[in-house]
Formats: sequence, structure tokens, C-alpha cells
Amino acid sequence: MLRFAFRNLFHKKAYFLTSVGGMALALMLILSLDAIFNGIQAKITSYIDHSGADIFVSQSGVRNMHMASSTLPLTVVDQVEAVAGVESVTPILYMGNIIAAGDDRYPAYVIGLPKEAQAGGPWQITEGVSIPNDGEIILDEGIARTVGIGIGDRVKILSKEFRITGLSKGTDTFINSVAFISPHDFVGLRGNTESVSFVLVKVKAGESSSKVADQIRAGVPNVNVQLRTEFAAQERQVVNDMSTDIVVIMNLIGFMIGLAVMALTIYTATFARRGEYGLLKAIGVRNSHLYRVVLLQTLIGVMLGMILAILFTLLVSASVSALEVKLTLQINPVSLVKISLVSLLIAGLAAVLPVRQIAQLEPAEIFRGA
Amino acid sequence: MTDFSLRVEGISKRYGSGDTEVTAVSNISLTVSQGEIVLIMGPSGSGKTTLLLLLGALLKPTQGRISLDGLDLSSLAEKALPDIRLHQLGFVFQDFKLLSALSVLDNVAIVAELAGVNSKVARRKAASLLTELGLAERLNFLPEKLSGGEKQRVAIARALINEPRIILADEPTANLDSKIGLQIMRLLRRIAKEQGRSLIIVSHDQRIKDIADRVLWLEDGRFKDMVTMVTDPVCGMALEHEKATSAVWEGQAYYFCSEGCKHEFLANPVHFQTHQAALSLPSATHQEYPLG
Ligand SMILES: Nc1ncnc2c1ncn2[C@@H]1O[C@H](COP(=O)(O)OP(=O)(O)OP(=O)(O)O)[C@@H](O)[C@H]1O
Ligand SMILES: [Mg+2]
Repeated sequence: MLRFAFRNLFHKKAYFLTSVGGMALALMLILSLDAIFNGIQAKITSYIDHSGADIFVSQSGVRNMHMASSTLPLTVVDQVEAVAGVESVTPILYMGNIIAAGDDRYPAYVIGLPKEAQAGGPWQITEGVSIPNDGEIILDEGIARTVGIGIGDRVKILSKEFRITGLSKGTDTFINSVAFISPHDFVGLRGNTESVSFVLVKVKAGESSSKVADQIRAGVPNVNVQLRTEFAAQERQVVNDMSTDIVVIMNLIGFMIGLAVMALTIYTATFARRGEYGLLKAIGVRNSHLYRVVLLQTLIGVMLGMILAILFTLLVSASVSALEVKLTLQINPVSLVKISLVSLLIAGLAAVLPVRQIAQLEPAEIFRGA
Repeated sequence: MTDFSLRVEGISKRYGSGDTEVTAVSNISLTVSQGEIVLIMGPSGSGKTTLLLLLGALLKPTQGRISLDGLDLSSLAEKALPDIRLHQLGFVFQDFKLLSALSVLDNVAIVAELAGVNSKVARRKAASLLTELGLAERLNFLPEKLSGGEKQRVAIARALINEPRIILADEPTANLDSKIGLQIMRLLRRIAKEQGRSLIIVSHDQRIKDIADRVLWLEDGRFKDMVTMVTDPVCGMALEHEKATSAVWEGQAYYFCSEGCKHEFLANPVHFQTHQAALSLPSATHQEYPLG
């Protein structure tokens, strides 16, 4: 029966391959959109992921960085440092702002980074220094390259000029970049001297981060304490909330195109062979057997389409990263599971009409003309 | 040994109801012995196809009983009929009805597989069957590459693979030229006789008469005007087939005027069989007398 299903499909190769291709494109729409958003999500938390901090302490009620502002009194820094299990604390200043480079303007997370920072600084410097002095800025090398500036050139934040002394890599979070200035300059920009934004905590080797986080919660009032992973998850949630509708709509479109292509293919294949299915019924093959043939055919078609879609998407993602565009495509296991479920659903639904067609065939018609 | 493969008792089939009611088959009785070849002829619309469908368990009679090897089909649930068709009946069609995407070998093997035979065994069996039918060189061909006669031989192999007791053929020679048609019919006769399978053929083809043991004339849903006469191999008496008692020996049915003759035959069949063989020209083994 497996052979029968296979042969029926491959008998008209060009036709079948065209529909597998159509199926693949439809699934690819779903998969690549997922991959794009996965890529964005991975980038969006890249500062948090690479900060080196185990725990993020923020103002009570502030749970992420994007579009948020956190203010903690200076006393919190010492309070946190005093908690058992804390190895080091790094208070950073943070605001979302615009970096003006010539006529170009780039949104950025601007970080006021202390000289003795144990965490929260640039993690990969391609050129220059890794801690900014007053009047200096460490800028994302991608932006520098795009604008055509480098070490020694000047950019502006809130009409204050900064000289570029370091270029960092990986500090492009897709929606913006991360730039580092001295805390003194940061205070100069914002005018508030008595506060920090976040306290980045490293825990001692062998200590459990979540236990230390609990102790900070218990010992320091009016703060929000999150593990790095929780903080990153909150940050991702911001993008999720923005993108859910788009993803749902595009997934639905991909699903419907895939379903239409597969259903039509299998329906036509069954219709063209209704005489043969009639014959099989007449000689005593059970309907359930024939339904299995149809289902097998939709499964084969959908599986091939899915494999092609994954290959296509990997190909696109490879060529995208080779092109050094801002976008990265990431296929993650969740997307693969999703695409498999969508494929199975398509296979099942695509089999419905042909199965009904077979059910209605009268085996007694077999002797009445071809 | 005197087992009837097929016994039909007073079956009728009516289509529709009220003003549009058509009685396609009307109160027909028939018994077919193991290894017997029955040809059913008759004008268009006389009910031949309907009868074949009834015999093939593809249609339920409005009235009457059909039993296959002692099993009463009308007592079976609708759901049990496909299995009966798959295992007990072989079908041969006018237009061959091969599966276009499958090779010759697969066309035959699939039917055994569907009957539950392991795929390897099914393929081996199909290959040997096809080889016997002279298709050893064509096993991997697609049906579209075969001549009509070859296609019909594949269809015959398919009908045989599950070793059915009865083969039902609908105009098996209609799409073949006359020489090939005759070859196919001889082949079917050899199979029926050697393997003891009953063969029921519906056809307009007069030449098939020569290979049939019995010819039935169907008109308006009834057998008519033609009483098949058979010859008792012991006493040489001409008998009406339906009234004779029969026995099968080596796949061949023999008819007798009485139990006495039958016992005499069975005591030393070789003697009478050679006697019979001497007379085995078609016109000598059976004769038809249209009764006015
Ligand atoms: N499904 C049906 N519904 C109603 N009437 C039918 C049906 N099938 C056959 N009949 C009628 O039953 C009668 C017998 O038909 P059947 O097909 O058995 O004849 P036939 O001997 O096979 O004819 P032919 O030699 O032309 O094939 C015809 O009058 C036909 O019109
Ligand atoms: Mg007919």
C-alpha cells in the first residue's frame, strides 16, 4: 500500500514536484517569519545576555529595559552589596536616546558605565578602549561602519559631543544599539546625581543565583530583583507583544496556501484515479485501506514540502548572514515543532475531500463501462 | 467431490420502485460446480451485468439466496462482503482495469498484500504466477507499455493470486483481437480445469462457446430457450444439465444420468476419462438445444 501511495504520487512527477514546491514555499513563509523573529529576539536581549550579571536589580515595577526607565537611590547599591553571596555589584545608568552622527540619527541604549564595572560593559571590543572616560563614547562598530566614522570622530547625544574611543561588536540589538559613556557625562545629560538605573549583581562562585536573588528581595525594600534569564524574557516579551498579530496573520496565510496546494494536489490525484479506487473497492479492498493510501499521500507530500521548506530557510538564513545585513534568521526547535504540527494538520485536512470521494464510489459501477 | 462452488436459488434483482421499477434479474436459479466453465449470453439489457454483480457479491439480491462454498452470502453483513470478494472471487474485466502507476508485478502483488500476505511472499507469488502466464519479461513494465493481451494476462494473474474458488469475467475478450481473445480464453480454460476453479463469463463473443462447459441464455432477466445438454460419460446418454447429478475428477466436472453411473465412473475414472477425452471436441462434450 505504501508503494501504491508513492507510485501514484510520483507517476506524474512534474505535477507532484510543483505542488511539493508550492507546499514548501507556504511552509517557508511560516518558518522564515519565525526565524526572523527568533533572530530579532536573540538580538534584542544581547546586552542582557552578555552583561555578565547574574541578577538585575531595578526600580520596583520596572521589569525590562526597552521603553522603560528605572531609578534606584544610591543607597540600594550598598544594601545589595551587603547581601550574603553577592560577589560584586555594578551600578549602571541607563536611558534610551538618540545618537546623532553627522546627519544620521540612531536610537540607542545609552549606558553610563562606572570605571570599576564588573558587569554591564562592552563584551567585545574591536578597536580602542572598553571603559569610556569623560567626553568619550564606545559605539557599535556596525553603526560606525555604516556612517563611515571611527576612533577619534565625534557623535552627539542630546547636543553634547562625544569622541569615539572604542568600537564594540554585538551591541546591535536590532531595534537599537548600545553605547557606553562615563557616569559623569550621563549625569551631565540627565541632571540627576543621586541615583542609578540598575544594579548588576554577580554572585559568588558556587552560590545559587535564585537563592541570592531571594535574599536581595528579603533584604532590600522597594526593588525589583530578577535573574538574568527572567530579565531577558521580559525584554523579549516586549517584541512578542509588538509582533504577535503579524506572526499570527502570516502563519495563517502560510497555512492556508499550504492547505490549498496540498488539498488540490491530492484531490486531483484521487479524482484522476477514481476508476482505480473503484476497482480496488470492487475486488474487496476496504475503504479504511484506501483512506490510509490517501492520508499517506498527503503525509508524503507534506513531509517533502516541510523538508524543502527547512532547507530553503536554512539557505536563506545562511545567505542573509553572508550578506552582513542587520537581520539574522534563527530556526529554533519550537518553530520546527510548530511547522510539523501545521504540516500534520494540513495533511489531515487535505485528505478530507479525497476520502469522501472514495467513500462515495460505488464498487458495483465497476462493470458498467470504463 | 461433488461440491458445488456456487449455488443460486431463486434470486431476483429489482432496481428502483413504483413506476420506474425494473426487474433486471428475475427468479434465477443456477448451480456451478468446481472447475466448471459457464458462459452467460444474452441481448443487451437482459440482466447479464446485474447477474454478474449479484454473483460477485457487489450487489444484494432483492430476493433469493446465493451460497458460495456452502456459505450463504445473504446471511452475511454488508461489511463482510469485501473480504469474501478479496479471498473467494477473482474478477476479470473487459477493460483490464490495471493500476496505471504500478508495475506489472506490483499490480498483482498488491492484491495478495491486501489480503494479508507478507509483501515479500506476495511479490514472489506474483512473479511466479506472471511467469507461468508468459509475462516473465514484463514484470517491471508499467501497464501502458503492454499489449492488450498482455494486460489481460496481468489481470488474470491478479484475479488468481488469492486463489479464489470462482472467477467472474465480464466480456474478457471484447477489447482484444480475435486471435488474442481466443488465446486468453484457452488460458482461462486451462486454469479452470487444472486448478479446479469455476469460471463464469458474460460475453457476446460466440467463439467463447467452444471453451465453455455450459452456455446459458439470459433474456428479460431469465434463462431461456436453451437447455444445456451434457453427456453421461458412462452410459453415453444425453442429459439436461440441471437435472443431472455431477462429480468432479481432476478439476473437470462430469454429469450422470443416475447415482449408479456416477459410482461406476468414480470407481474407475481413468477409464471413462479417456473415453471422454476421445469425445472431448466441444460439440461432443456438450450440446445445446434451443427449445422453440
Ligand atoms: N443501477 C440501475 N438502476 C436502474 N436500472 C438499472 C440499473 N442497472 C441496470 N438497470 C436496468 O436493468 C436491466 C438489466 O441491465 P444490465 O446492465 O444487467 O444488462 P446487460 O445484460 O448487462 O446489458 P448489456 O449487454 O447492454 O451490458 C436494464 O433494463 C437496465 O436498464
Ligand atoms: Mg452489461
